[in-house]
Amino acid sequence: MQEPDRHEPPNAGAERELLETFLDYYRGTLLVKCAGLDEEQLRTRACEPSTLTLLGLVRHMTNVEQNWFQWRFLGRDVDFVYAGERDRDREFNDLDSVSSDHVERDFLAVCEQSRAIGGAHDLDQFERRSNDEWRVNLRWIYVHLIEEYARHCGHADLLRERLDGATGD
Amino acid sequence: MIVAPPRYEPGFNGPEKTQLEEWLDYHRATLLMKCEGLSVEQLATASVPPSTLTLLGLLRHMTIVEQYWFHKIFADEDVVPAYDSPDDPDTEFNDLTGATLDEVERNFLEVCARSRDIVEGSDLFSLARAARPATPIDLRWICVHMIEEYARHNGHADLLRECIDGATGD
Repeated sequence: MQEPDRHEPPNAGAERELLETFLDYYRGTLLVKCAGLDEEQLRTRACEPSTLTLLGLVRHMTNVEQNWFQWRFLGRDVDFVYAGERDRDREFNDLDSVSSDHVERDFLAVCEQSRAIGGAHDLDQFERRSNDEWRVNLRWIYVHLIEEYARHCGHADLLRERLDGATGD
Repeated sequence: MIVAPPRYEPGFNGPEKTQLEEWLDYHRATLLMKCEGLSVEQLATASVPPSTLTLLGLLRHMTIVEQYWFHKIFADEDVVPAYDSPDDPDTEFNDLTGATLDEVERNFLEVCARSRDIVEGSDLFSLARAARPATPIDLRWICVHMIEEYARHNGHADLLRECIDGATGD
């Protein structure tokens, strides 16, 4: 996988710009943690007993992006990249089904779709799949995705350090 | 031993500031949950080598991060960092013997309470009083940054904890 361009969010400004840039910063950070490793390293459970792998995290976040922006917010029928009927966590577990180049390409394409969806709607707008229990607005989705990426990038930090000693934000 | 406070899921559709405050508190509580029920020795164990991170070190680190961003940079208060050493800029991670576990927990809770008051009394467009005028920083950025910093360290805490006693969970 390639190291992407990453841009620091501005230190002051409007809500939307801040949320979009922080989310993009973390999409980039996850790829930074994967860059330069070989296929085997990306699939290694480097922090056992945890079953997490770097490639599994990228696949997971691909599904998460689709789930929040396409399935929940737009209410679309979604063909999930890593749909698993028998294994709910297939994106984490069935790592040999596609190459890392393919995983990277799917991830970037899905993020691009999310960017277009998020950018076209008001932050106060509710997701189409709202119900009495869940009435989630776009603002919540952004902040949630930032903290979900950040948390998984914390996992990625330790996985990467175990694989080749590399550290860094 | 550390006892985690109740943790509340952030509301799904509140206004901006409420959501940011609730996410911050969610992650403060999550860090304590990851520490809950462990002995001091376990909390001070670097359980994912070669990383030197420990759960106790993370709790100490986030205490001075709260002091730095909310108390010092935003509110321009005179701050005495809870963990400080002239010899080691990372003393909060490295010298885990300087304070008891009770003190670390109390420091963290007190510092978070002060941060909460500061945020509550300001709006998100307010500029940090101790930031250089050429590079203004607003409270909105500080809040989102703190959420992602907590979340990232809670990711570290997830794996540290799982390698100590197998416990997992959000």
